[in-house]
Amino acid sequence: MLKIILFCSSGSSTSMLIGKIEEAAKARGIEVVVDAYPEAQMEKYVEEADVVLLGPQVKFILPKAKKICSEKGVPVDVINPVVYGMMDGEKVLDQALSMANK
Amino acid sequence: MSKFTDSLEEKLMPIAGKISENRYLTSIRDGFMLAVPLITIGAVFLLLAFLPIPGYSDFMAKAFGPNWNTFFMRPFEATMSIMSIFVVFGIAYSLAGHYKIDGLNTAATALVAFLIFTPFIVNYTPEGAKKAIQVSGGIPVDWMGSKGLFVGILTAILSVEIVRFVIKRGWVIKMPKGVPPAVERAFSALIPAAIVAIIIDVIRMLFAMTSYGTIHQFIYTVLQIPLTRLGDTLPATLIANFFEGLFWSFGIHGANVVGSVMGPIWLALAAENLQAFQAGHPVPHIITQQFHDMYMLVGGSGSTLGLVLAMLFFSKSRQVKTVGKLAIVPGLFNINEPVIFGLPIVLNPIMVIPFILTPMILATLTYIVMSIGLVGHPTGVVIPWTTPPIIGGLLVSGFSGAVWQIIELVISFFIYLPFLRVVDRQYLEQEQAMAVESQKG
Repeated sequence: MLKIILFCSSGSSTSMLIGKIEEAAKARGIEVVVDAYPEAQMEKYVEEADVVLLGPQVKFILPKAKKICSEKGVPVDVINPVVYGMMDGEKVLDQALSMANK
Repeated sequence: MSKFTDSLEEKLMPIAGKISENRYLTSIRDGFMLAVPLITIGAVFLLLAFLPIPGYSDFMAKAFGPNWNTFFMRPFEATMSIMSIFVVFGIAYSLAGHYKIDGLNTAATALVAFLIFTPFIVNYTPEGAKKAIQVSGGIPVDWMGSKGLFVGILTAILSVEIVRFVIKRGWVIKMPKGVPPAVERAFSALIPAAIVAIIIDVIRMLFAMTSYGTIHQFIYTVLQIPLTRLGDTLPATLIANFFEGLFWSFGIHGANVVGSVMGPIWLALAAENLQAFQAGHPVPHIITQQFHDMYMLVGGSGSTLGLVLAMLFFSKSRQVKTVGKLAIVPGLFNINEPVIFGLPIVLNPIMVIPFILTPMILATLTYIVMSIGLVGHPTGVVIPWTTPPIIGGLLVSGFSGAVWQIIELVISFFIYLPFLRVVDRQYLEQEQAMAVESQKG
């Protein structure tokens, strides 16, 4: 099972992605758990994650996020803006899967 | 991408990064997050005690007796009017977390520091007396509410810094191995807290020697009043909004960045409004957190709800229609990342123009209609920024606010429409070209 945690400013726009990613995973028969939180709470939740993804609107926190995530050995990256805007669960899932395999 | 936008992005990203990494600004913002739900509850209860409906209070008095509104006033008094207490706690807790020191103990210490600064003297006007007398032995609610906000912010930061300094020096009581962690924690908090108390008390005594008497009076006069008066002006708001839009144009969460700076000021203004409202005075400020959230961001940063409606009903290209459908429901709750990244507005020179201009135009118009009294000033009721338009206007300014938000929607719709048409036509041509191409293939 893959646990993906999304972070944005307040966790509201990323939470719209949760359902889309879960749908995409279900269609492919992959077990995932997706959660979304405000970036301020990153340290609290990073430990439970297999993959951390940031909304493109908070890409400026990537250096900070990398520091927090690398301590716990969790891969982190920013979601592509166009993918994010279109709320494309398939592509975000692809990204998460490829990050988890690394 | 042109050289100009490239270099602008290069300059903006580090600014956003610096602000987001500034531990003081982020802990103030996060600390307020603890307070905002509580303030919201208090504000709504206050609204229920003074619902602006003719005959409401008479009806309630008949139904529940003359003291009916104490039921609603208590939650207000226990939240909004002492908001500085949990703002202190929240900021200290979140800054302590940043330094990875014990949050609970440090926050409690900061609260103590805040109370040391506060004179335990309450003004009381006895029945029949003309002048208030000073009564000792009470915590003055006056300094616990909006008036104590800035002292609260500064005290929280100062206390945590002292605690951190002391811990870093290793000036803590160390327990032998085998002592339960809870006991160890209580002892290790002892010396930092004592040092905070001593330093704060010395500062208090120094202020007692000045003509201000207390640090509360000093900060309020020297810092809080000038800063909030500045925040209440239209030019300051337009500048703040310009930067908010500019950051978003490069895909950076502008509301987050600008809010870190303006949030405390706008919230203090809202709290002052609410206090005046409660006292039955006219509400002094126009620009508050709600002015920003409800009247400048109708559908999210850039007031994009009008744009989304235009996308749904007046676009021909598949791309624009698809994003419109995706964006409408979150847009009703002022969440608009799908439009910003999906249309996109980010790095799109055509859409950036109305995106930055619309909120500035709406702010100016709202300021005018509120100044001349057509629309009610925001009462200071703090509601979440995700409150849908029309309902939001109704809650913060009454019926006139709801009507004004509808007018704002129409205005923003017409500002965005010509720009959207250009983008829509571009997409349509691309889509048609691709369709032809695939037929050939």
